[in-house]
Amino acid sequence: MSQFLEMGGYAAFVWPAYAVTLGAIVLNIVWARRALARSREEARRRLAMRGEGA
Amino acid sequence: MSGYGSPAAGVVAQAAPLARQATVWAGSHQAPLLDAARLALARDLQLAFRKRGQLVQPLAFFAMVTMLFPLAISPELARLREIAPGVLWAGALLASLLALEFLFRDDAYDGTLEQYALSGQSLTWLIFAKTAAHWLLTGLPLALMAPLAALSLGVSDAAVPGIVASVAVGSVALSLIGSIGAALTLGIKRSGALLSLLTLPLSLPVLIFGARATQLAISGGPLLAPLELLAALAVLGVTLAPLAAAAAVRISLE
Amino acid sequence: MTWTWFHRLGSPPYVYALAARLTPWFAWPAALLIIGGLWGGLVLAPPDYQQGDGFRIIYVHAPSAWMSLMVYTTMAVAAAVGLIWRIKVAHAVAASCAPIGASFTFAALVTGALWGEPMWGTYWEWDPRLTSELILLFLYLGYMGLRAGLEDTQRADRASAVLAVVGVVNVPIIHYSVTWWNSLHQAPSVMRLAKPTMAASMLVPLLLMLLGFTLFFGAVLLVRLRGEVLNRERSASWIREIVNA
Repeated sequence: MSQFLEMGGYAAFVWPAYAVTLGAIVLNIVWARRALARSREEARRRLAMRGEGA
Repeated sequence: MSGYGSPAAGVVAQAAPLARQATVWAGSHQAPLLDAARLALARDLQLAFRKRGQLVQPLAFFAMVTMLFPLAISPELARLREIAPGVLWAGALLASLLALEFLFRDDAYDGTLEQYALSGQSLTWLIFAKTAAHWLLTGLPLALMAPLAALSLGVSDAAVPGIVASVAVGSVALSLIGSIGAALTLGIKRSGALLSLLTLPLSLPVLIFGARATQLAISGGPLLAPLELLAALAVLGVTLAPLAAAAAVRISLE
Repeated sequence: MTWTWFHRLGSPPYVYALAARLTPWFAWPAALLIIGGLWGGLVLAPPDYQQGDGFRIIYVHAPSAWMSLMVYTTMAVAAAVGLIWRIKVAHAVAASCAPIGASFTFAALVTGALWGEPMWGTYWEWDPRLTSELILLFLYLGYMGLRAGLEDTQRADRASAVLAVVGVVNVPIIHYSVTWWNSLHQAPSVMRLAKPTMAASMLVPLLLMLLGFTLFFGAVLLVRLRGEVLNRERSASWIREIVNA
């Protein structure tokens, strides 16, 4: 296991690279869901303002 | 030509009879089309000469940028000569960027652009005329000033024609690329940083070929190849940029 | 008759429902492919004979770089479609693409730097590919900046679409000029890694990752698309059903 983590001496480069990319994946999921939630909230507010009731 | 007090009136007053004339000359739309563009060009030049202060700003900026490098790096002419192409082109790029903010701004505020769009004349040609005026007022003076800056950086005077040619041709492409960015950012407050962000990446090929041509002019090498590439970029810009800029102006007027 | 599917793609309620229904079909295969690719790339693939275990960065770097270009192309095509046929949904697709593309362009740059240090001996090399990638990041940032600067959604859509199309015309010119510039300045001492044909055990994880990332883009795009479609819909009564659901 520790041999795997050492990555043949390249650990300092391999793991940050994977971390950044997986970070991009996770952030994309979080941002996209948040953007959708914000748009729904916004739409709800627009409806409420027109008195059509949400 | 009584309408110079309100800038819109001049061209519109001229453009309306021209449009009428165009229907008379139904066979050839060419002549009135170019007439309107020529009038727009003349108007922009005349207006610019009334505000000479604004005209000088990009040139003064260019001179200042050139001055920064000897102060920041070293006064040794041998070292300055080596970095001269980069200094000249980075300076020219930034100076032309600085002037772009004025390209459409005043005409958008006072409604001239709207009149252009409604005049029945080709907006593409009118935008092209405005961009041409912009080049005559910034690109060409920069090209004429670049040798002075180059000489102050220790470049020999044999390089002068090559430097003038490369800056003159390259700045055509810069003005055209910039016209798209200026049109897109119309109506955005404090658009300066955004305008640079949009325009600079698209201008990089001009910077690369321009600096190369200047470098070859300084070292006495064959500068025709990069100069031709610059000319190709300028031609591509002439054909496509006014279309895109006119589309962007229309979008901003909607 | 064969064109009805195309016309329905112009209808916001249909697109919203379709996007919601399709999302899991992209998300789960993407998750499985990426996990499989990670396992294959980190564990099963043997170390490279030249680069040892350092080559494993390729399994995150290449898919990120692929995403940066593919997303930009998708964005420009959607923008052009929206501009030409005035289709709101196409503009919504283009607007959804930019943040995804920008984040993976950033990841491609960072992973490229982390690969460059052990292999070239420097984090940053003014290599044409790295330079082009950096410029691409600026194009994405400019697109997002322009959208953020324009408050009216319709104007933001159309203005940013012009920018995306102008950008896509420029990308080959930028790439060519950067390559040309680089060939003049490149010191020959930089180690160029000869790529022999890849062994299957190395290649398969890479293909899994590429496909997984592409599907992942689809899933995120569909989620974002729903939000963008909602943003563009002012009056429709179907919004009520959605926000109350």
